[in-house]
Amino acid sequence: MNYDDETLMAYADGELDAARRAEIDAAIAQDPALAARVAKQRALRAEVAGAFDSVLAQPVPDRLRDAARGGALSGAGAPDSAAPADRPRGNVVQFPSRGTRAPSAPWRAREWFAVAASLLLGIAISWRYFAGDTSLIAAGDGGLVAQGALATALDRQLASDAGAKDAAVAIGLTFKARDGSYCRSFTLRGSGTAGLACRARGGWSIPVTAAADAAGGDYRQAAGTIPPAVMQAIEARIAGDALTAPAETQARDAGWARQ
Amino acid sequence: MSPAPEEIGERIVELLPRLRRFARSLSRNQHDADDLVQSVIERAWRHLDQLQPGANLGSWMFGIMKNAWIDDRRARTRRGEVALPEDSGSHPAVSPGDANAALWSVSEAMTKLPEEQRLAVALVLVEGMSYKEASQLLEIPMGTLTSRLARGRAALADALGGPGGAA
Repeated sequence: MNYDDETLMAYADGELDAARRAEIDAAIAQDPALAARVAKQRALRAEVAGAFDSVLAQPVPDRLRDAARGGALSGAGAPDSAAPADRPRGNVVQFPSRGTRAPSAPWRAREWFAVAASLLLGIAISWRYFAGDTSLIAAGDGGLVAQGALATALDRQLASDAGAKDAAVAIGLTFKARDGSYCRSFTLRGSGTAGLACRARGGWSIPVTAAADAAGGDYRQAAGTIPPAVMQAIEARIAGDALTAPAETQARDAGWARQ
Repeated sequence: MSPAPEEIGERIVELLPRLRRFARSLSRNQHDADDLVQSVIERAWRHLDQLQPGANLGSWMFGIMKNAWIDDRRARTRRGEVALPEDSGSHPAVSPGDANAALWSVSEAMTKLPEEQRLAVALVLVEGMSYKEASQLLEIPMGTLTSRLARGRAALADALGGPGGAA
């Protein structure tokens, strides 16, 4: 069976419906050349995303901060009829808000093959991005584990901690995994790396990391904030919905013990 | 109830790294990218009344950036400013020595893409949007988005010669 590049691209991006995806999963299993074409699509995506992600780590020029806050000072924001083209026409994309949000349906439908493939990609990427973060993530037996400030943040910090706005680690979602353990998504602000950590043996194991899509995890959970590889890892584990703020506090105070 | 201007200001500050990355993926260098970000912030403040209640500030500003970038390209064309020769190797604000080499080579390849392909690649590959989100933001049908994205990717793969390059 022959597939065009557009189809394989959509497959690599996780954009095909379940039936079409299953069909290509099967075709790939039998056809190494097809698998290689998909791998190239993914590698190109990782290369392009990784290149521009370096911008996230750069210091923001003062003139932009001033402009961002300047509107409040100058009293701008008053209605102005000029330049109607400035306004995005049509539907404004609505990113879901953080909190008890359940992951959206397309993610739920993803299959294990795609999950496994992304995990591999995530792990491959992680070594690249962790060059500067060895104090936070270390190779333990059987995989990566959190240490230092990351371990402390995972132990103590709540997603809603206002005081943690400038902390090195931002906590995203906290949820209970199907095996009863707690998992938390995080972003390392210093390196723009996002990942998932799950409670294991009194510490935090890190099954997946990827280049983060947003600076800090503290902005609302915009679609781009949790990278696809991390979102898929969440989808593969989550039991029910993400914890509400009170439930998160309770779980923390109970030392993240399984229930 | 609309948020206070101070709160909007802080939310825009939080968005700055992403806005800068999106702008950088559309521009030749970081200086041009930051000029674009600045003009987007100014437009956003002027037209804050057009932000729909409940709409996401980030996606609204990305939409403004898309329009601002296209407007800027049109204006330059009208003024007779032609983009630097694409293969001149002249990049005043970015050079392989001072910037990260991967950023430089991918950015170089991006500037050779037609604008509509560059936007599709920037939103999906760099910003991580779904095809649906990107097509809504660009106000184009999904099929149009996917064909632009596929062509943009093929051109990038050729230009970069690495992953996705020659089979």
